[in-house]
Amino acid sequence: MLEALSYEFFRNALWAGLLASVICGIIGSLVVVNRVVFLAGGVAHASYGGVGLAFYMGWPVLPVTAGFSTLAALIMAWVTLGSRERADTVIGVLWAAGMALGIILLDLTPGYNSDLMSYLFGSILAVPVEDLWLMAGLATVVLALVLLFSRGLLAMSFDADFARSRGVPVRFLHFLLMGMTALCVVMVIRVVGLILVLALLTIPPFIAERRSRSLAGMMLLSGLLSAVFCVVGLWLSYSLDLTSGATIIAVACVGFGLSLCLPSAKREASAGGAA
Amino acid sequence: MSTPAIEISDLWFAYEGSRVLEGVNLTLAAGEFLAVLGPNGGGKSTLLKLLLGLVSPGGGSIRVLGCEPGTCGGRIGYLPQFTQVSAHFPITVLDAVILGLIQPGLASLGGFLGRAERRRQREVALHSLDRVGLADRAQGRLSDLSGGQRQRVFIARAIVSGPELLLLDEPTASVDGRSRQELMTLLSRLNQEMTIVMVSHDMSTVDGCVTSIACVNRGLHHHADSHMTPDIFAQATGVDLRAGCPVELFAHGTVPHRVVLDHDDPNCCGGKHAHGATASATDSITDAKPQTGSQGGQE
Repeated sequence: MLEALSYEFFRNALWAGLLASVICGIIGSLVVVNRVVFLAGGVAHASYGGVGLAFYMGWPVLPVTAGFSTLAALIMAWVTLGSRERADTVIGVLWAAGMALGIILLDLTPGYNSDLMSYLFGSILAVPVEDLWLMAGLATVVLALVLLFSRGLLAMSFDADFARSRGVPVRFLHFLLMGMTALCVVMVIRVVGLILVLALLTIPPFIAERRSRSLAGMMLLSGLLSAVFCVVGLWLSYSLDLTSGATIIAVACVGFGLSLCLPSAKREASAGGAA
Repeated sequence: MSTPAIEISDLWFAYEGSRVLEGVNLTLAAGEFLAVLGPNGGGKSTLLKLLLGLVSPGGGSIRVLGCEPGTCGGRIGYLPQFTQVSAHFPITVLDAVILGLIQPGLASLGGFLGRAERRRQREVALHSLDRVGLADRAQGRLSDLSGGQRQRVFIARAIVSGPELLLLDEPTASVDGRSRQELMTLLSRLNQEMTIVMVSHDMSTVDGCVTSIACVNRGLHHHADSHMTPDIFAQATGVDLRAGCPVELFAHGTVPHRVVLDHDDPNCCGGKHAHGATASATDSITDAKPQTGSQGGQE
């Protein structure tokens, strides 16, 4: 591990993993408690359309994907607001449509793109410094937004109907949450790829939920767990020469299994604090 | 006590083209304890959502405490259906109650409250918890409480803002018999300070504390006294008593039958359920001549 740290690509990978963990801890917790995991999955996969678009037009990938998936997320948020009846079907369609668009656009792009797979399964070992800065910027934006609207987000997450009855602008917060989820997904794509992004968004918050006394505590604990999964996964992938994204997810899944075996630790004094 | 708690006139509401509520008129005086009964899908919860401003009516007018629905803020306390809240949500009992103090609008959504304001909110919330008898659990996790206790926490959240009107959506669903009794005792105490509207699909929750009954099944009929008549029963359950007596619904409690004499309101049950045709249902029903609904009941 220590010798690996002497390589810049490995240091970058660690930073990328830690940044992704901060964001996944916060947004993943909100996604899990608001029960919009399926929506987050839809956003993650639809964002592939953004990747395709960026390659086809020759534009920078991360900003284009961020814009594209934010748009997809807002459409999905709008769909789930109105008639909830068939909202899941519509999300399923958008999910597939985004991916199909991405693949078709890549087909139409001249030349062979070896980078293609990296967006599906992650390329944490190839994260350039510019992307790190972009990730840090996005992380700051998301963190600021969550802090700014923390009370409203808590009220909506806990009981949306009650919050609406008190005049809390739940619609706005719903759109905000989906927009932030899109940004989060784009950042994490770099680390584990869009296929595996759901695992990093949901496994740490799931483990943390039953062991926290507040939403803020849950965010903190799932961020820590996520960081542990990333570091351990990176180390394993380096020493065993395995695909890094998949290894990180494998570690998270083992953690998930362990957490089910461990007692749910009701009174565990984990990262309390008022939300 | 001058402004009625609720004033509804000619209200209708349609969901995906079909009318869920139609021709609803209701004036509820302050201080009442109204039980809203009706079969599932009859529009009870929709009526509550209309009162809260969570959905907008297709037509007609609603005034709640003299204002438009959804603009009363903390003057209305609301208890949503039990299943609304995830059982594992990481929150302490006290923090859950404090959420009842949230102010409307964008500006108040920030996380930064002053120290004094935070302390004030904690004190108000603790007082509210004390009223429902759960002050000693304030620091515990909400998910560690039983179903009945959690309902009481949500009632504490509903009353933390000092509301004048309390709207309850099936408060006694999915709690056991003893908790139900405790809840009803608590509600009747709260009724001394505020108007209560309670939606229920459970006929057995029409306890002594209820002062009037509204039957909602597309239309609404307000029975100004709380005595159970065959037609209230028929409207509320969709069960036609002529088909037989569903005794099991009345089998529990110290007052198994609450029956009043018939009245001559033709709108009461849309002419579908004949008045006075229920003598076979329970032997305590008097098949009376048309009378006004205010007639005293026989128990």
